[in-house]
Amino acid sequence: MTATRRLHASILALTVLAGCGAIAEQPRLEQSPRQQPPQQQQPSPGQLTLPNKPDSLKFAVIGDTGTGDQHQYAVAEKLIAFRNQFKYEFLVMMGDNTYGGESAKDFENRFEKPYKPLLDAGLKFYAALGNHDTPNQRNYKLFNMGGKQYYTFRPKLGVRFFALDSNYMNPEQLTWLKNELEASGSDWKIAFFHHPLYSSGGRHGSDAALRDQLEPLFLKYSVDVVLSGHDHFYERIKPQKGIYYFVVGGSAKLRQGDIGTTGLTAKGFDTGYSFMGVEIVGDEFYFQTISDRGVTVDSGVLKRRPTPATK
Amino acid sequence: MVRASTFHMWKLLICTILASCLPAHPLSAAQAKPPLATPAEAKLIADFDARVKAYYDLRDKVDEGAARQTQSKEPEKVEAQKKALVANIQKARATAKPGDILTPEIQPFIKKLLKPAIKGTDGQENKNTIKEEKPQVELKVNSPYPENQPLSIVPPDVLLQLPKLPKDIEWRFVKKHLILYDSRASLIVDFIYNAIP
Repeated sequence: MTATRRLHASILALTVLAGCGAIAEQPRLEQSPRQQPPQQQQPSPGQLTLPNKPDSLKFAVIGDTGTGDQHQYAVAEKLIAFRNQFKYEFLVMMGDNTYGGESAKDFENRFEKPYKPLLDAGLKFYAALGNHDTPNQRNYKLFNMGGKQYYTFRPKLGVRFFALDSNYMNPEQLTWLKNELEASGSDWKIAFFHHPLYSSGGRHGSDAALRDQLEPLFLKYSVDVVLSGHDHFYERIKPQKGIYYFVVGGSAKLRQGDIGTTGLTAKGFDTGYSFMGVEIVGDEFYFQTISDRGVTVDSGVLKRRPTPATK
Repeated sequence: MVRASTFHMWKLLICTILASCLPAHPLSAAQAKPPLATPAEAKLIADFDARVKAYYDLRDKVDEGAARQTQSKEPEKVEAQKKALVANIQKARATAKPGDILTPEIQPFIKKLLKPAIKGTDGQENKNTIKEEKPQVELKVNSPYPENQPLSIVPPDVLLQLPKLPKDIEWRFVKKHLILYDSRASLIVDFIYNAIP
């Protein structure tokens, strides 16, 4: 083999390797040593595992809530009780906010009544649209969508949320998202929407078509955490290309035993209803997931890996 | 000669590595772009655009007074203004019939546009996504989409194939049928039966 041929062969090999992703992007988020599997560090029922610091950002995550039945009320009751220990400031909703109808009575029975104590306390709910929601929900002020199907908000300096309409990811929305992510600088970036990009759900599972569109943007603009619903259970996904994904779709509906063996699951809970409490302290994202029986089913902390902008 | 060839190979290598490291733009991902329209097809699209615009303008005209869509804390008001808008549109389009906007002429072209997004493995995935929900909806022009039925997800690369629509008018599916959906009033504007297999 001549030197030139050897060189060409090396170049070809390198080219193929590059095409196969051998020159891979390193994960941006690292799992902190503090993040322990729940079975090793199981808190007692009702025990707060979040740091509950005075100046942190505190919020709760609920998904697939709008049934108006006893299960929604059971989770709501725990949410309300949880706030006695942990003063979260707002909630994000993963869609399917009112199942079965959107009359005034539906909004009352499936949203206002179950969460009345939280609404009365002045807490804001930020909704994303699910496949059981019509875009008309954007006009319902208590969902804080600002009249838009997709929107962004910044509840605290340094943390930005992006609520997307995953039912209808048209080019306009993708362009909007790209521009908003680009403008968000070094903020924590938390995206939430209904359909999960990664999920072990047997009924629905990962939405690959949506992932093809969103994941490149999430990687390019350093999205830190992605929250979704649709699958009616709780699942914390192993970091995917450095991004942490949660499925929180069991806050009123449950598909028992639906979490399959996919290799994606860091922690799954599909035997009860649940919600998640979150606290952001500096570069750390603490989470605690609590069942309708008040049991902590998952907890931990994700450490944000510095991005070029935050170094 | 050898030097020139080596130089080109290095250029190729650098370009390939750079290209593979750059995150794909969401709109330039693997999906196929809509095929270039022939002059006859371009005429069909122009006609379709004009019909959609006429609907859009009509809706804007009747989206006023009690029907004006504004944000409210009161669900009664949100419900009432939507009902008023639906009533106004239905009145203004009392004679509307299937094919007024999605004309018989454009329907085969729309089906043709959809084909690349529903063929092959990726296409099967798109079809599965579309048909994941099985809403029970009677297709009727000018009738409200039933609130107790889910709306289909429309995969992004399917949307990319279809003609662009103005604000608050969307493409949706009811099983294998494609509908033109007014997302402000939640009305079925028009539809194509069996748009996908």
